[in-house]
Amino acid sequence: MPFCFRTVAIGLIAAIACAQPPPLLKVLNEELERNFRILKEKSDPAPYFLAYSVTEQESYVISGTLGILSGKSGGASRTLDITLRVGSPKLDNYHRLAGERQRPQFTTGARVVLDDLPEAIKRRLWLETDGVYRRASQRLTEIKTNSQVRVKSDDTSDDFSPIEPSHATENVPKLKFDEKVWAEKIRKWSAVFKQHPEILASSVMVLAQREVKTFVSSEGSALQHGRGFARILISARAKSADGMDLTTSETLEAEAPEKLPKDAAVMAAANRVINDLKGLLKAPEVDPLVGPAILSGQAAGVFFHEIFGHRIEGHRQKDESEGQTFTKSVGTKILPEFLSVIFDPTRHELGGTDLNGWYSFDDEGVPAQRVGVVESGVLKTFLMSRSPIEGFPKSNGHGRRQAGFEVVSRQSNLIVESSKVVSGKRLREMLIEEVKKQNKPYGFYFEHVTGGFTTTGRGGTQAFTVMPLVVYRIYPDGRPDELVRGVDIVGTPLASFAKILATSDRPEIFNGYCGAESGNVPVSAISPAVLVSEMEIQKKDRGRDKPPLLDAPSLGGGQ
Amino acid sequence: MMRFLASIAILASTCLAQDAATDIILKAMRDELARNAQLKLAGFSGPYFVQYSLDDGESVSVVASLGGLLSKGTNRLRVPRVQVRVGGYDLDNTNSIYARFGSSSRFDPDQLAMEAGYEQIRRHLWLATDRAYKNAVEAFARKQAAMRSVNQSEKLNDFAKTTPLKIIYPVTKYPVDEEVWVNRAKSLSSIFLKYPKILDSSVDFTASQSTFYMVNSEGSEVRAPDHLIALTARAAAQAPDGMLIADATVIKSTNPAALPTEAELQIEVKKLAESVTALAQAPVGESYSGPVLFEAMASAQLFAELLGSNLALSRKPIAEPGRDLQIPASELEGRIGSRILPEWIDVVDDATQTEWRGRPLFGNYLADMDGIAPKPVNLVEKGVLKTYLMSRLPVRGLEGSNGHGRLLGPFGSSAAAIGTMFVRANQTAPLADLKKKLLEMVLARGKPYGILVRKNGFPAVSLPSRANGSSRLVSAPVLVYKIYPDGREELVRGLRYRNLSVRTLKDIVAASDENFVFDFVGNAAPLSLMGAGGYITNATVVAPAILFDDFELERPQDDLPKLPVVPPPS
Repeated sequence: MPFCFRTVAIGLIAAIACAQPPPLLKVLNEELERNFRILKEKSDPAPYFLAYSVTEQESYVISGTLGILSGKSGGASRTLDITLRVGSPKLDNYHRLAGERQRPQFTTGARVVLDDLPEAIKRRLWLETDGVYRRASQRLTEIKTNSQVRVKSDDTSDDFSPIEPSHATENVPKLKFDEKVWAEKIRKWSAVFKQHPEILASSVMVLAQREVKTFVSSEGSALQHGRGFARILISARAKSADGMDLTTSETLEAEAPEKLPKDAAVMAAANRVINDLKGLLKAPEVDPLVGPAILSGQAAGVFFHEIFGHRIEGHRQKDESEGQTFTKSVGTKILPEFLSVIFDPTRHELGGTDLNGWYSFDDEGVPAQRVGVVESGVLKTFLMSRSPIEGFPKSNGHGRRQAGFEVVSRQSNLIVESSKVVSGKRLREMLIEEVKKQNKPYGFYFEHVTGGFTTTGRGGTQAFTVMPLVVYRIYPDGRPDELVRGVDIVGTPLASFAKILATSDRPEIFNGYCGAESGNVPVSAISPAVLVSEMEIQKKDRGRDKPPLLDAPSLGGGQ
Repeated sequence: MMRFLASIAILASTCLAQDAATDIILKAMRDELARNAQLKLAGFSGPYFVQYSLDDGESVSVVASLGGLLSKGTNRLRVPRVQVRVGGYDLDNTNSIYARFGSSSRFDPDQLAMEAGYEQIRRHLWLATDRAYKNAVEAFARKQAAMRSVNQSEKLNDFAKTTPLKIIYPVTKYPVDEEVWVNRAKSLSSIFLKYPKILDSSVDFTASQSTFYMVNSEGSEVRAPDHLIALTARAAAQAPDGMLIADATVIKSTNPAALPTEAELQIEVKKLAESVTALAQAPVGESYSGPVLFEAMASAQLFAELLGSNLALSRKPIAEPGRDLQIPASELEGRIGSRILPEWIDVVDDATQTEWRGRPLFGNYLADMDGIAPKPVNLVEKGVLKTYLMSRLPVRGLEGSNGHGRLLGPFGSSAAAIGTMFVRANQTAPLADLKKKLLEMVLARGKPYGILVRKNGFPAVSLPSRANGSSRLVSAPVLVYKIYPDGREELVRGLRYRNLSVRTLKDIVAASDENFVFDFVGNAAPLSLMGAGGYITNATVVAPAILFDDFELERPQDDLPKLPVVPPPS
C-alpha cells in the first residue's frame, strides 16, 4: 500500500504528497508491525503500545584558541529509542511508585547502522525490542505486586493518554558546512584574545548539526521530521588577584551555519567577552544585599525558565517526590496580572533571530502546539506529554527527550508577554525611584547571565540559582554604573514572582540547551527586561589559589 | 606507554626527519621546564622534580555491524601530563590518598590544541605546571598532617632515583585509509549475516598511532613511537536453554601494514562465527575435578591473567588512621625466594625483543612512562620467584625501576605492568604426547573424560568475575572440550573455573614444546577503582601448552534469561 503523507504547515518544510516512504520509515514500520503483532499474540503481559524512534545526527565541531585550532570532532550516528507499554493505559510499566527517586528507564539508545540496510536494521530493532519488552514486563510485575500502588494517591489519572496518529515526512535541509572555511574563521576570531595576557584561557567554537527523527508507532503514526542547529560559542576565563575565577561568554545561534551572524557581529561578541572579562578583573567584589534590580530580557528569560518553566512541567505535578509548587494553583493568580507566559514550539524566529526551542512534532509524535500557560497572571495549564495528570488528560505536544532517554514533559520556546511596558530608559528611572524609596545605596542591573539550575525536588529547598556573568551597580545619585564581580542570585521562586513591578517594551532572546531527566533539549526563553522590587544577592564561592606564579612564557620566542 | 581506552590514537606528525635538537615539542618542554624551576610559593619549597610527557597521536576508528557502518571517525589526540613533586625522593607529595587531590583552578585544557606549536605548547605547560605545583604543595601538607597521627609499619622512599636517559627515536606514521577500512569492516561484518544463530555482532577497527614525548628535570628525554592497531570481531548468541554465549577475535599489531590480508581476516571472522554457532548448540558441561590440558593459547591467556597482574606490587598510600582503603594486594607479595612454578619453568619479561621465531612481538616497547627503557627481568628462575616488575615506585623490599612503569598509578606514581613475558619450560613434550598423558591420567583415575581448554575469555570476551574459592576475579574459559579416552573431543559450554589462583600454577605437571604468542591489551582495571583506569598497554605472553593433574571447573547455578518471544526477522 503506498503511503500518503499529509501536508504539514510549518515554515521550511516541503511536504510531499503520496510519495514513496523514506526507506528507514518503511523498515521501522515493517519491523514494528511484526514485533507488535507477535508480542500481542504470544507474550504475557502483552504490549498495548509500541513506538520506534530513530534519531539521525550529523555534526561538525571546530574549536580554536589564540589563533590556532584546538580540536575538531563530529560525525554521524543513528540512535534507536523504543517505547513499549505493557498493561493498559490505566496502569502500565511507566507508572511511578511512591518513594521511588529514579524514573524507570527502558530504552537503551542503541546505535543503528547508518546505511539503509533492512536486514541489519531489523535485526537491531528486534533485539532491542526483546530487551525493552523484558524490562517493561518485569517492571509491570513489580508495580502490580507493590502494595504502594494500592494506597490511593492524590492523582488517580492514567499512565498514558490517547492521541490521533500523525503522518508526515519533511524535507530536512542538508547540512552545509565547509570545514576549511570555518577553520579559517575560528583561527581568526580566536586570535583576538592574543592581545590580552591577563586572559588565561579562551575558546571560540562552532557547532553545526542536523537532526532527523523517524518515528513510527503501533497507533499508526509515521513521521520523519527534523531540523538544523548551528552555534558559535565564545568564552574566556581569568583569575582575579584575590583568587576569584571569572568567566565571560557569548553564544550566537541559528538554524543553519550559513545563517549564523557575519564576521563583524562575531568579532563584536568576542570583544564583549574580552572587555567584560577585563572589566570584571578590575571590578570590586559584590556585597550581599536585598534590593531592587533590573534583569535584562536575556537574564529574565533564564530566570523564568528556571524558576517558573521547570515547575509547570506536567510530570512533576504527579511525582510525589517533587515540590509541586503549582500543582494546586490552576485558576489562581501566580504572576502579576500584566504578565502572560506562552510556550510556543511552532515559532521559528523572532525579529530575525532563529529560536532554538522549535520543533514540528514532539518525541511522542504529537504535533507541536502553542500553549498559553499563564494568562494575565493566572495559571491555566501545564506542559504536557502523553503522561496525563489530574484534570489534564491530553498531551499538548511537550513530551521531549534527547536520544537515549525516556520522554518527560519539557519546555520549548518560553515567551513572556507583558501589558505593562515602559521604555528601557523609563524602566531604569523606575529602578532608581525604587532604590530611593527603599533607602538602598544602589540597585542592580543584570545584563548577562548564563544558564542556571533549579531544584524542584522535595528533598531540596525550593531555591534557584542563575549564574550572572555581567552585573552592574546602579547608583541613585548619578554616579556611573559600576561593574561588580562574584554575584549570585538566590531566592525562592514564589516570592520572586510577586515582586515584578514592570517590564520593558523590547523582548530579548536567550537560546540554549536545557538538561533534565530526559537529557538535553534545545530551548529558548524570550522576555522583555523586568524590574523587580527585591532581589537577593549573595557572594559567589571563590577559589583559594592565586593567579599563576610565573608570567606567561613570552609568545615572541621560539621558532 | 599509554593511550586512552575510549578514544584511540593515530597520528599525523609531519616531522619525520626532525632530530631531537630541533624537535619543537621537545624544545618547548625543555625551555618551559627550565623556566619552571623558579616556581615557589612563599613559605614552601619549590619542586624537586618536574616531568612533562605527551602522547601525541591520531586515531582512526571504524565500527560496523551486519554490513552497515555504525560509526567512524578520525581523532587527533594530544594528551599532555605534568608531574610535579615537592619534598624529596625519600618523602614527597605522592603515595598518599591526597596525591591527586587539588583545589587549584584549571586553565590548561585536557588536550593540547591540535595545531599547537612551540609557543602554545609552552603556554599550555606553564598553566599546567603552575596548577600541578600548587596542588602538590597542598597534597604534601595534607600528607604530612596525616603522617603525624600514623605509625608507619615500614618506611619506604617515595621515589626511586635513576640515571637520566636520552631515548630518541624517529617519529613514524603509517598511512591508514579510513575509507578502505570502512569498506573492509562492513564486508567483514556482513559475514555474520550468514549465521542466523548469532544474535549480535560487530567488527571494530582501530588504528592508533602516537608518539610519546617526555622531558624531566633530571635530564631524561624520550621520543618514541607508540602504535596500536587492532581489529576486533565480536559475536554473541543464545543457547536453547537461554544461556548467553559470547566470543571475540582480536588481531593486533603496531603497524597497520602488518595486519593479515582481507582474505585472512575473513577466515578469522568465519571461524569466530562458526565457533559461536557451535557453542550455542553445544551441551552444558558438568562440574569437573581432575586432569586438564590447556592448549598453548589458553595457557598463555592463563599466565597473562594470573601472573601478569600479580607480578607488580601495589603500595598502600598514607591515609588518615582507621580508613580502610581496600587496595588489592598481589598474591605474590612477600614471596620472593618461594617456589611458585615447577622447578623446570623460568619466566622472563623481555620487552626489548622485537620478534619471536620470525613473528613480531606486540609487547615490545622502547621506554616506559618514567622514560626508562625496559630491561630483561628474570622473574622466575627454576620455579622460584626472584623479583617483581618495577616502576620508579619503591615497594616493600625493593627499590629501583626495571623499566616497567607502564601505567598511571593511583597515587601519583606510575604502576608496573608486563611487556613481553616468556614462559620457558625446560622439560617439554609434543602436544600429542600431552594429550596422551592427559588420557592416561583420566584412565588411571577412572574418569569418563578429561578436559581440554582451547581458549579463555581473558581479556576481550568476558569480564572477570569472582570464581568460587578464588581470591581474585578471573575470566571464564570460552572453548572447553571433553576429551574421551578414544581421543574424541566434545565442545561444552557454561563452565567456570573454581579455586583458581596463582598457587594453581605450582601444580603444572607437563608443558609442550610448541608455544603460542598471545598479544593483548592490558589495562589498569585492578587500579581503576582508585581512579587510575583508562590507560592501556600493549603486551605479549609467549607460553607452551600446560597440563594439570588436578584442576577444577564448575557449572554455575545462574538463572538464565528466556529466549525472545518474537522470532528473528527473516
